[in-house]
Amino acid sequence: MSWQLAWRLFKRELSQGQLILIVLAITLAVLSVSGLARVSERLQVAINGEAANFIAADRIINSPVAIAPEILTIAEDIGLKHVTNMQFNSMVYADDNFQLVTIKAVGEAYPLKGVIELNSGETSSLPSKHQAWYENRLGGLLNYPKHVELGDVKFDMAAEISRLPDGGFNPFASSPVLLIRLADVADTGIIQPGSRVTYLYQFTGNPQQLTQFETQVKPMLNNSQRWVDVQSGDSPIASAVKRAERFLLLASLLGIALACAAIGIAAQRYCQRHYDVVAMLKTFGASGKQIRQIFTLHLLLVTGLGILLGLIGGMLLDYAINGFLPAEIAAYSPPYLRPIMLGVATGLISAFMFSAYPLLRLLSIPPLRVLQNQLEGLQVGMWLHLLLSLSAMALLGYLYSQSIELTMTVVSAVLLLGLLLSVLGFVMVRIGHGVGMKTTNPLQLALAGLRRRAKQNAVQLVGFSSALVLLLTILALRQDLLNEWQKQLPENAPNYFLVNIAPEDTKPLDDFLDSNNIIATDIYPVIRGRLTHINDEKLISRDQHKNGTQGRVGISRELNLTFRDTLPPNNEITQGTFNQTDDEVSVESGVAERLGLSLGDTLTFSIDNQRVNVTVASIRTVQWETLQPNFFMIFRPKALQGFAYTSMASFHLDDETLAINGSKLTANALVLQLIQQFPTISVIDVGAMVGQLRQIIDQVSLSLSLVLALVLLASALVLIAQTEAGMATRQRELAVLRTFGASGWLLRSATGFEFALLGAIAGFLAVIVAEFALYMLKTQVFELVVYMHWPWWAISPLAGAFVVAVLGMWRCRQLLNQSCGALLKAG
Amino acid sequence: MSTNSELIASAICVSNLNKTVVTQEGELTILNGINMDVKQGESVAILGPSGSGKSTLLGLLAALDTPTSGEIMLDGVELSVLNEEQKAALRKKKVSFIFQSFMLVDTLTALENVMLPAELAGVIDAKSKAENMLERVGLGHRLTHLPKQLSGGEQQRVAIARAFICEPKVLFADEPTGNLDSVNGEKIADMLFALNQESDTTLVLVTHDLQLAQRCARQLTMEVGHLTETTKSLPANDVHSAVEQTPHKAEVV
Repeated sequence: MSWQLAWRLFKRELSQGQLILIVLAITLAVLSVSGLARVSERLQVAINGEAANFIAADRIINSPVAIAPEILTIAEDIGLKHVTNMQFNSMVYADDNFQLVTIKAVGEAYPLKGVIELNSGETSSLPSKHQAWYENRLGGLLNYPKHVELGDVKFDMAAEISRLPDGGFNPFASSPVLLIRLADVADTGIIQPGSRVTYLYQFTGNPQQLTQFETQVKPMLNNSQRWVDVQSGDSPIASAVKRAERFLLLASLLGIALACAAIGIAAQRYCQRHYDVVAMLKTFGASGKQIRQIFTLHLLLVTGLGILLGLIGGMLLDYAINGFLPAEIAAYSPPYLRPIMLGVATGLISAFMFSAYPLLRLLSIPPLRVLQNQLEGLQVGMWLHLLLSLSAMALLGYLYSQSIELTMTVVSAVLLLGLLLSVLGFVMVRIGHGVGMKTTNPLQLALAGLRRRAKQNAVQLVGFSSALVLLLTILALRQDLLNEWQKQLPENAPNYFLVNIAPEDTKPLDDFLDSNNIIATDIYPVIRGRLTHINDEKLISRDQHKNGTQGRVGISRELNLTFRDTLPPNNEITQGTFNQTDDEVSVESGVAERLGLSLGDTLTFSIDNQRVNVTVASIRTVQWETLQPNFFMIFRPKALQGFAYTSMASFHLDDETLAINGSKLTANALVLQLIQQFPTISVIDVGAMVGQLRQIIDQVSLSLSLVLALVLLASALVLIAQTEAGMATRQRELAVLRTFGASGWLLRSATGFEFALLGAIAGFLAVIVAEFALYMLKTQVFELVVYMHWPWWAISPLAGAFVVAVLGMWRCRQLLNQSCGALLKAG
Repeated sequence: MSTNSELIASAICVSNLNKTVVTQEGELTILNGINMDVKQGESVAILGPSGSGKSTLLGLLAALDTPTSGEIMLDGVELSVLNEEQKAALRKKKVSFIFQSFMLVDTLTALENVMLPAELAGVIDAKSKAENMLERVGLGHRLTHLPKQLSGGEQQRVAIARAFICEPKVLFADEPTGNLDSVNGEKIADMLFALNQESDTTLVLVTHDLQLAQRCARQLTMEVGHLTETTKSLPANDVHSAVEQTPHKAEVV
């Protein structure tokens, strides 16, 4: 019977449009969660996938010797695809020319991700037996020979490579690449015991497989073997990906919070509508159980419909967005299960937890209300409402983001907003005392209205303000993140690196760059050295540490050291002062933290088997993402005097550049000229990589805009829900005022003022909370620079006043135009 | 006559009923030592000015509210020993209501509104019974109309049909014609008394309309929390005479 009644009420109320708001609110919550989850997963997969192309796989094991075969067996058992490659340096000969090259000998399945781009186009094949594909600058260096000799084999120079999927970004791997088949290596006879070779084992698979593989295999690796994934290290891609992921999470989280606010308000309204029905049902003898069943079922039907529409909407959203994404991203299709489960969970949790308190009040409505209309149910227990709402938000937040920092930031922002509103509500009631219904001045009438509805206004403010807070937060973060990325990747980010610059070439190179109007970074000397002691304590390797050797863990590899008199651009001293004397060194903050260094510590380096002692004089931060030459350790020139060094520099070159004589030269031709003039300098083209980074940023920007649009939609819904909630009392008041002769102009102005004041207060509160939320987010989550958004302190209240007034007037337009009789009748 | 009244059982028996509420100004006595006895099938009007405590008394008699002290027996059941659930069960079985503001569920049709009490009571043929009741109040052609599509008089007829569908022992009516014009009010009153007579229901009617009160067998007047018998025209215990003397014929179809 209860089921029938619940269904009947649901059907009728739905067809009469009374459930639109709550269904819409639930729909929006589910839609934003399922849709954004899918979109963001797709983008994340795409971003990770695109980024994975830089290593041409998902994971790499980098080893100087062949790895234990069981590792490959494990990979196969788990279902990972893998390929074994080998990389080593060797001299190749072409007629009378010779050149040091990096031989990249690849297995059949290479590349696991991405494609090899030849000058003639993309290819999915590999060179044939005894064929070599060469990086385009090698062609230039060797005068485009038909063959090159490598050990005992003469390779056909079959095709010119414009980009390799794992072209890599290590300015110190300076030789041009020659790509051959792994099977050909043995024929060359080059690799002898003791030869310096790097084995690159590349793996690809789904995230679960990769995690399983990582858990099993990582402990088996020794100190000389490196585990590489897209996100390891301080690569610009990794940091862009991480931030983008977090932003998407946060934005969706805020979207959920907002939709929850809408659900909360709609639920309250939904319950208020049913007060009389419950009183009536109780009067006619409905038992508590019957009432509970009826309304739980009713709410379940409402929620079910909301969830269903939300899921459909989410899929449509995903489908629509996909249309705008580049084909290679659209092609990624993560499973539907997680977005659907998340959507359903969001719908159920938000609908029931946010409705719990209003529902409790509804169920406790006394039957006597049929005779005494002013009676309401349960008055106490607001704490319960607060607790349930916050738990719902935290639960959903954590469920969605799996990040405690993000969840706590959102929850604490909500708490702050609640606190501010309570204070404000109290102040409003106090100040408003004595303001009556003076019907001459619209502003006074508006103030009186605000005070009379203080309680209701506090609820409305929650909605207005949360919508604004979220909007401001998202807007600011989006802008900050984009700025940050743009800053890291300015239009003229270096796209060419010059390494192996001999000291005697420094001056002529400078002249060459100048004569071609190329603005390069400073030229940085590079010396390789190993850190051996800190404060005379011998450092141990990580392996030794693992095996139980006591001591301080150092860096297992050689570092690139530089020397100069001044602090390089993009570096910032955080502690101490930049080197003043010759025995001082400036250390990058990440390394300092890892090694536990502080100012005054003595570091001993071993360079060319000589010891160099220096004192840590400063610690500095470095923007690794800038694609500029960056160094862990910077010495004074005298400290490293006498050691052999080469230098490096980077510069930006447009596709077309103007040479000094006025004729246009392509970038390629110019680089070729440079190579011919300075044959010992290696030029590394990172243009392609910069292009890809930019593409990633574009994708992220797109997703940010989409999220912004959704948040806007949610905000609008909350605002509509707000005004809807106050309609009934407003209508009664208008009727009374009209009856007593208030003019249409007065009522319209008073209503407009009232909404505008409410909007202005909401805007003001929103700025406070948004600044707080941004502070938390920037310091705890995004590692961005914190600053105040002063213009907002004016814009937000003004915009709040305008938007809320317009929306409120629009919602009230019918009431304001109705005649007195119609108002009284409807009221 | 007195023999007659002793033979007929009490539908409502109230002794020394008090109701006080706590207000900002202190304790306020709304009902003060009320005693009354309503026989089964009797019609009683409770008259009195606004704020005299009529509706409070009605709420207490109908087990919607709890007295501060005193005893109420409804159809032989002592209300003070019942909890809310038991009171609800008692109302479901024995009591029905008609309100001044009709109290129809505005999203349900006329038919569905009438079915409601029957469905709550688990009546199997609720729908046909409701259709029949609506026929009887002359709304057989308005089954699928929503309350807002009906006039005030029609809405109250739906409420009357709803009140009688479960054949209650006691019907409480709170200003049933208060929201209607005099013509409609009279029609509704005719219908109410006719159905009441037909189904031998005890009627407790709260009103300040003297004319309507006169149609009841007895009139009791509330004044500042005190209830006094003010029946003039008819003997207090002549159960059906009031209806028999009704000047208008009920419009029961």
